[in-house]
Amino acid sequence: MLIELKDVNKTYNNGQPLHVLKGINLDIDRGEFVSIMGASGSGKSTLLNILGILDNYDTGEYYIDGKLIKNLSEKQAADYRNRMIGFIFQSYNLIGFKTAVENVELPLFYQGVARKKRHQMAMEYLDRLGLADWATHYPNEMSGGQKQRVAIARALITRPQIVLADEPTGALDSKTSVEIMELLQQLNREEQMTIIVVTHESGVANATNKIVHIKDGIIGQIEDNREHQASAFGTTTIMK
Amino acid sequence: MRDVFTEIWESVRRNKLRTCLTGFAVSWGIFMLIVLLGAGNGLMNAFLTGSEDIATNTMQVGGGRTSKPYDGLKEGRRIWLEDGDVALTGSELFADHVDQVISTVGTNVTVNYGKRYFSGYIEGNYPARQEMDKIEVRYGRFINDKDIRENRKVVVLPENQAETLLGGGSRDSGARFATLSFDSSSGIEVDVRSLIGKYVKIGTFSFRVVGITKSDQMSDSNLFYAPYTTVKIIYGKGKEIDDLTFTFHGLDSEAANEAFEEQYRAAVNLRHRAAPDDRRAIWIWNRFTQNLQMNKGRRILSTALWIIGLLTLLGGIVGVSNIMLITVKERTHEFGIRKAIGASPWSIMKLILAESVSITAFFGYVGMLLGMIACMVLDKTVGQSTMSVMDEQIAMLVNPTVGLDVALGATVVLIVAGTFAGLFPARKAAQVRPIEALRAE
Repeated sequence: MLIELKDVNKTYNNGQPLHVLKGINLDIDRGEFVSIMGASGSGKSTLLNILGILDNYDTGEYYIDGKLIKNLSEKQAADYRNRMIGFIFQSYNLIGFKTAVENVELPLFYQGVARKKRHQMAMEYLDRLGLADWATHYPNEMSGGQKQRVAIARALITRPQIVLADEPTGALDSKTSVEIMELLQQLNREEQMTIIVVTHESGVANATNKIVHIKDGIIGQIEDNREHQASAFGTTTIMK
Repeated sequence: MRDVFTEIWESVRRNKLRTCLTGFAVSWGIFMLIVLLGAGNGLMNAFLTGSEDIATNTMQVGGGRTSKPYDGLKEGRRIWLEDGDVALTGSELFADHVDQVISTVGTNVTVNYGKRYFSGYIEGNYPARQEMDKIEVRYGRFINDKDIRENRKVVVLPENQAETLLGGGSRDSGARFATLSFDSSSGIEVDVRSLIGKYVKIGTFSFRVVGITKSDQMSDSNLFYAPYTTVKIIYGKGKEIDDLTFTFHGLDSEAANEAFEEQYRAAVNLRHRAAPDDRRAIWIWNRFTQNLQMNKGRRILSTALWIIGLLTLLGGIVGVSNIMLITVKERTHEFGIRKAIGASPWSIMKLILAESVSITAFFGYVGMLLGMIACMVLDKTVGQSTMSVMDEQIAMLVNPTVGLDVALGATVVLIVAGTFAGLFPARKAAQVRPIEALRAE
């Protein structure tokens, strides 16, 4: 198992204690394409933050590739994020004053990769995503779809074990959304990349192979969706 | 390294005006520091001109007036030093420290050369005096042992008085180092060298001029030298001498000097039937301790100037710190992204610290450069002018510049200050939690 969650609990203590995750048990294997679905407030974002080592959990155990992820120092957490996890965000989270290629290079910069080498790799990834011509453009000169593809390139460049996507199509129109999901599907299919998508859109979830439903901090149903029949709106569209 | 500078440049480029305004405060601080230290140096140099030429291991002793009754004698009695005091000083008693003792005797005389004359003070002296007072003989020679032994009637005149005797004597400050001086009244040029070997008349005696010393406006320029023995025979008052000077060794601290002076004073006082602890019976001018005190004063002045300069700089540092805090706040979201993709807290901290140090160092160096230019301008203007006090030309500032040590010191200050200014904001940036930072806009 690549990811193992055992009875993970998380409570926020901002005034009123809020028990967000109430004993999550979840196993995800290498090469899986999973979506985590739930309404807002269901705890899916918190789960994603814990999976991405951006947040701590209170009790339970979380293993990535057999490594226990618990009580890490900030430095260690940063290192694990850098080497094991690629993030794709709803709002792209590109750095505005850096060009596309510089944004893609950044994770390699934190690995201490030499300037030439990382530039070359970044160009390679941009090229694969069809953005080679846009390498020297700044994020504000690009469309939403292009920005998200730059973000995907940035997530992939360190060859992570897991790609975590938080509402990756949330800010995109339906046509671009379909393109991005197809891109993720392709990555999963062709490179056996483990991808976890958090979404509340059934169309997005339908593009994945497994749908984990989360409600009130508890995992409900786990749906096998290899036939992509989960969406009521057809298999190839995303309803906005 | 290049990456760090690229990041800093990107950040600074986005906030040019803000950075420049902040940088100005730093520049101003360092500018003030450099100018203050430069002016302070100039002031100190002006004070010390002349005195630095004197050997520092000598003490001069002169007679005074008793201030307390002793041994049946009333206070207020005049003490004259005598040959016996010279012998005492040179005796076994003080042999541990005293090297060489010379005495002087002198009187006011008029020196005639043809129709020209000047009034001066003839001081009977020993050859050793030249070394002790670092007297610079420009032409001819100083008094030598043979003069002393044979009671020769020779004199060593200061340059300006030699000019007077030759009918020159221009007091133009520009001419003080010139061999040929231009006489504005008579319009003739005089060569003081021509006076060497000539005889001048002092009272009823003829003295041969054997040397010309450099005269400077800081010291007595109407004092001139003749052999001690000669002056003593002609003008002496029995055993009495004017003062005595001795060189010493092995007194390295202020305390050691004080202890020696105490012992010495007691011995000499007793010879003259004065109270051993009477500090007015004889006067002791210890150039070594004087020099120590001068150096102490110099250090205090310099410390005070550093403190003022650093306090001025502090304003600039607070400004940089403030700007870095704003920068951190503005870039919280960006830091969140960086952390999410693997930036360690230290790498974020480094980013802010490097920016802070760069801004401080860059503008600091601009300020330092301007400060040094200002010092040079000061040197070329005020540093070249003199002011006339009681007929004496006194330079207000001499060489008011700062040395390499100050520049290096200021560099250290800038780097420390920049680090200090960035430390708090950088810590704040490093402590940003990524999920909260990502939420911030």
